Amino acid sequence: MVALTEMTNWAVDLIDVRKTYAKNIQALRGVNIQVGRGEIFGLLGPNGAGKTTLVKIMMTVVRPTRALGTIMGRPIGHRGKLAKTGYLPENHRFPGYLTGLQLLDYYAALAKVPRASRRATAPKLLDQLGLSKWGDTRIDKYSKGMMQRLGIAQALMNDPELIVLDEPTDGLDPVGRRDVRQLLLELRRAGKTVFLNSHLLSELEMVCDRVAILVEGLVARQGTLSELTEHTVECRITFSGDAQPIRGKLAAMNATVDGDLVVLSGHDSAKVNALIDLLRAQGLLIESVVPHRFSLEDILVEAMGGSTPNPHHREKRVR
Amino acid sequence: MQFWALIIDSFRESIDRKIFWVMLIIELIVGAAMFCLSFEPGKIDILFGVWTVETDYFTALSGLRHDKIATIAVSGVMDVVLGWIGVALAIVATAGFFPSLLERGAIDVLLSKPISRARLFLGKYVGSMAFVLLHAVFFVVLTFLIMGVRWGSWLPGYLLSIPLLVLLFSYIYCISAWAGVRFRSATVAINLSVGMWIIFAGIQGIGNLFETFPEWKKNRLAYNASIVARWIVPKTQDITYLAGKWSGAAVSTELVPEIEEGDRSAMERAGQAELERMSLNPVYTIGSSLVFELVVIAFAIWRFSRNDY
Repeated sequence: MVALTEMTNWAVDLIDVRKTYAKNIQALRGVNIQVGRGEIFGLLGPNGAGKTTLVKIMMTVVRPTRALGTIMGRPIGHRGKLAKTGYLPENHRFPGYLTGLQLLDYYAALAKVPRASRRATAPKLLDQLGLSKWGDTRIDKYSKGMMQRLGIAQALMNDPELIVLDEPTDGLDPVGRRDVRQLLLELRRAGKTVFLNSHLLSELEMVCDRVAILVEGLVARQGTLSELTEHTVECRITFSGDAQPIRGKLAAMNATVDGDLVVLSGHDSAKVNALIDLLRAQGLLIESVVPHRFSLEDILVEAMGGSTPNPHHREKRVR
Repeated sequence: MQFWALIIDSFRESIDRKIFWVMLIIELIVGAAMFCLSFEPGKIDILFGVWTVETDYFTALSGLRHDKIATIAVSGVMDVVLGWIGVALAIVATAGFFPSLLERGAIDVLLSKPISRARLFLGKYVGSMAFVLLHAVFFVVLTFLIMGVRWGSWLPGYLLSIPLLVLLFSYIYCISAWAGVRFRSATVAINLSVGMWIIFAGIQGIGNLFETFPEWKKNRLAYNASIVARWIVPKTQDITYLAGKWSGAAVSTELVPEIEEGDRSAMERAGQAELERMSLNPVYTIGSSLVFELVVIAFAIWRFSRNDY
């Protein structure tokens, strides 16, 4: 049985994860998420969606009301697998009385990393994260950005197979953010699985293979970025002239007019050409034709029930 | 490896606290004061003879053996400096250990490690004892050497005060640890543990009064209630008696006949009660107190294991 579960391709396979807090507050209402081995997975959602609760359940910080599935082939909370998992919580607080090297050694010892390995790995990671000169400095002297880098270093001390990072670029300057992105890509190249929780959607777009959108304790969308955006493409045509006489025809083509802008949902080039022909036949001057793919932010807003890029897309919700 | 890491961390947290160094300074001052004193028949020399104090009290003590005079100091040091001031300062210093451990952002990382919550709690709990152990070792060894070198009184039994002091602290600290887990507040932990400490002392004090005034035992209900309550609570006072006993310290009865010439029946009764307390069974004293401590720890671990952070 154990051998079978170990063979699953999913690094994280969460099934029906539920969490109800006191006073019947339902933070998670049956979350199903699958993360492939060796991929960077992004979890996004509005504040209060349950993202941090989900991450904390994965890391045994919060006890689930119900949780099936596996992490690295073992049940959630399996101690042995935690030894091969790295975690950076949001708004982490490290003991100020420790130096950077002491902190890495302390947490790695708790992760059962042998002493010799700790001694060898800590300076390397500090160097990799630009903290090599700060190893012997007390943490209470660190800036927020340095603290964040140190937090990432401690998450990597045990050479984890799965790395769970909650807002890893929080407090970092643009250069620091780029460095973290590079690090995440390096980790993926090394075959590690990265589970990323971030509210910076542009960053998720840059590095994630797959994402899930959590809304009100449920997964509203899940898939690769192209899967999530394939039905959220439109063509934006700007023109000059009066389109009022052909409004009815435009509506029949599922195109909407807003001033001197016509928006056509989808990416069917035949329809785009037909629309252009219609506009030109009316004597309108075409000024630009711009295909537009929706961003992750658009998808998130849509998932939250805001403006809808494609009304038909709601049917594809993952429950 | 994990347990040791937690103990080392607690040690580092201990020495980071200012109160650690304040206690060290107090211990050095007391040690220096003891070093400056020497007892001669009928007088005390202070600062190697710079001042000499002649008193009838110490004239009366001249009949005692030299090392008995030293043990008076031992008893005082044990009871006041370590038993009360030391433990009180240690409680204040360590009360924040569990609340800081449980701070959001700090506990998250710890709980994500492959260590059970019970083990994590116990590691931190034992590690907190390092604070007291360090001070106990430093102060007891320091005063042991001063009494030996300066006063010529070598009292090997006095060294047993080290584990006894740690034990005494642990009886109070278990309350602090539980409160830290339950309320996540150092202030609440201090108030509760000090409050319970006073209650423990009060219960033992009432029990001692029954021994001093046997006629009170006629009220069977009150007497039996005091026996039960005394059995349940940690015997914090008895630990200092035990330390005195194992150190070979003098008791009041050895001094009373020399000091008081008048009606001393009350003092004799008190002295008798003191002797009885010093003849207490260490297995009962330590064992029953440990039962209390273990129950509180078990409850704290249960709470810690059930909480979400």
